[in-house]
Amino acid sequence: MKTKARQAVILGFALIAAGLAVFLIKAALLDYPLTPGERATLWNFELYIEFDGRNQPARIEAFLPPSDVGRAFLQEAFYDGSFGRSLVGEPETRNRKAVWTYRYPANKKVLRYAAQTMGETQSTPLPLSFRESSAQVTPFEADPVKRQAFIVLSGNLRQRSADERSFADLAIAEAFEERSGGEPYADEISALLDESTGVAGRLELVRQLLNSQGIPARIAGGVYLTETSRRIDPRRWLEYYVDGEDFRFFPGGAPARFFTIWYGPEPLLDATGVDNLDFQIALKSEETSAAGVAENAPGALGAFGRSIGFGSLPLTTQLVYQVLITIPVGITLLVFLRQFIGFTTLGTFMPVLIGIAFRETALLNGVLLFSLLVALGLALRFYLERLQLLLVPRLAVVLIFIVMTMAVFAVMMTGANQAMGLSISLFPMVILTMTIERMSIVWEESSAGEAIKQGLGSLGAAALTYLAMTNPQIEYLMYRFPELLLVLMGLCVLMGRYTGLRLSELWRFKALAG
Amino acid sequence: MLKTFKALRANGVIGINERNVAYVSALNPRKFLNRVDDKLLTKQLVEPAGIPAPALYGVIENARDMKRLEEFIGHPDGFVIKPAQGSQGKGIVVVEGPLKGGWRLSSGKRIDLDAMKFQINNMISGMYSLGGQPDRALIEYRVKFDDVFGKVSFRGVPDIRLIVLKGIPVFAMLRLPTAESDGKANLHKGGVGAGIDLATGRTMQAMQHDKFVEIHPDTAHPLEDIQTPYWDEILLMAAKSYEVTELGYIGVDVVLDREKGPLLLELNARPGISIQIANRKGMRFVLEKAMALGDEARTPEERVAIAKTLSDAAPVKPGKLEPAVS
Repeated sequence: MKTKARQAVILGFALIAAGLAVFLIKAALLDYPLTPGERATLWNFELYIEFDGRNQPARIEAFLPPSDVGRAFLQEAFYDGSFGRSLVGEPETRNRKAVWTYRYPANKKVLRYAAQTMGETQSTPLPLSFRESSAQVTPFEADPVKRQAFIVLSGNLRQRSADERSFADLAIAEAFEERSGGEPYADEISALLDESTGVAGRLELVRQLLNSQGIPARIAGGVYLTETSRRIDPRRWLEYYVDGEDFRFFPGGAPARFFTIWYGPEPLLDATGVDNLDFQIALKSEETSAAGVAENAPGALGAFGRSIGFGSLPLTTQLVYQVLITIPVGITLLVFLRQFIGFTTLGTFMPVLIGIAFRETALLNGVLLFSLLVALGLALRFYLERLQLLLVPRLAVVLIFIVMTMAVFAVMMTGANQAMGLSISLFPMVILTMTIERMSIVWEESSAGEAIKQGLGSLGAAALTYLAMTNPQIEYLMYRFPELLLVLMGLCVLMGRYTGLRLSELWRFKALAG
Repeated sequence: MLKTFKALRANGVIGINERNVAYVSALNPRKFLNRVDDKLLTKQLVEPAGIPAPALYGVIENARDMKRLEEFIGHPDGFVIKPAQGSQGKGIVVVEGPLKGGWRLSSGKRIDLDAMKFQINNMISGMYSLGGQPDRALIEYRVKFDDVFGKVSFRGVPDIRLIVLKGIPVFAMLRLPTAESDGKANLHKGGVGAGIDLATGRTMQAMQHDKFVEIHPDTAHPLEDIQTPYWDEILLMAAKSYEVTELGYIGVDVVLDREKGPLLLELNARPGISIQIANRKGMRFVLEKAMALGDEARTPEERVAIAKTLSDAAPVKPGKLEPAVS
């Protein structure tokens, strides 16, 4: 006895803990929203490459957004035309490249790459492996003039700074001419900078300065997620890691959101064997459900979240499960009503079935229809009793009568309230027939009062389970977090060992409470 | 509400949940349940064990048996038709004797052969059985009840309900039909229940509709201090039913026949808990005391002797309120 009780309690709590654990992983780590209405902004990124073929082997290389950054990078799509495409990963730089090739392209050709992203923010952490790459490097080995200028500049910056962090600040200020009061090192800087490279060159200089001090730094390329436009310019910025903190320096001010595509000083595109290479980047923002975004999260955790969900099912099946998954909520509520409150109902789970039927009719109509049909059916059932029909044929007569009555209602109400008239047709007649049969037996064998009490108990329980099963929040939670079924199961196991008094028994045994 | 809850707990009142979890499912193995759920099987089992029961006139299972109906019911003193798997007295037809080509029912109404066949057909097509499986109709001896309870009964047959835990009778009550209960002794239909002192067989307090009553609502006769005849035999019958059923928690229903003495009417594997009100006493402490006696082998006579000492059971755990014994 005792060990059985303990086993059940352990099992119940284990089920609840398992369900809640998965729930928390999805809610906290994967950002599954907890309410149905939550929205998120999704950016559609498109890279559009255009060129003329020269009738000779062509090779076009483009950086693609890396898939290992901690951010919601959703899905990508390629439009290759007749080109062959291979994806190449570069482990040191963490870059990913698409290489399109074709033997003899002629005329104008187009390639496209599309991706969906939530983008990153300043608080998106840099990869841990990046933080460790801190070898001290002095560049310009081959060019003694530049090398000398670099050493003078870095030495001076070092002198004027207190630590690595202020060194980084100074280097950025120096390279981007933000220092007030003259430029004593303009010569060194202009010697080091190739003016044609612009911002990219200055960023590269800062990177070299930081690397020379052993500070991990790299140039990143990507786009700012600020506006919907067909022509977005790719941007460059600097990422570095100092004093245990991640920093990003965006020349000209930081955007709220951005999308990293590649690392390094190289251009986004590279091509051989083609003419008139041109590219366009288009960005389009889109309001979407936050849940959909979370469901498409990358990585193993994202796959784990998807594996406990209905996203992979065909849409029609998903819709079925959206309803099915709420039934356990109704069942659990019914268990509570029976074991703790002491509802008496006709048939164990009949109220839940009636509650499901209310889905079609809405609550008030459903209750009215149910009462009316049961009342009419009972009247017929008592008349049939006098004809002394056998049990199964009698049930059949009642069932046919129910269908007929529903059909008459449907026709009658088509004029007044079409939706209601049609919803009746789906009211489950077998459930109604069994309700009538059971109720009439209780009526005869116990009393009319008892039959009405059980009928009302069933109706009340049906209404409550209906309200629970159709609550949008509950519906949403159950559908997005099917692991909550384990929690419900655990609750039912625990309720199965509840040996205390029911609420109704307090009333029943009131005489013994003295 | 919380106060009521605590008071009921302190008085050892058990609810349906506790009955189901701690007693019915813990002590009644499912494989033996048909021994009580099927009244025909019960009858076949108890008679060889020396427990008297109403004589069986016939069994109707199908249309062929139905042809023999008139041969089963040729008894001037009447008979009873009941579904073998009915519960809570559902579907039982009590026929008192012939009346103008038909029969007279205990309710005073007349029934003809067609109506009777219809009732039996309902029974065998499973109208009263759990889940609606096909059933059998039993036709058996109608108990001519002993006048000892005549002053506290309104029509119908009073019976004695005993709760038997592992063969030890632990609670008993007398169930008396009223006008409201339509001659049936079922408490939920408005019958009166009077607690019986296990040691003496005398009625103590009584209840109707979950409330205490002092007199029978129809006859106005006091319900207290009525001596149940054959009390020791009744206790022994109840105790013996444990060997027959191997069920650890059963309700035993016994009727007193004028000529044949106590007869076992039926057994119930899920006996109700209203008996607590009839006895003005929660069941828990007595049940726990009987459980604590362990499983060692005892004869039915030994168990009856134990039964007579149980009534002073108090909370086992210290620090709880004394149970209210009025």
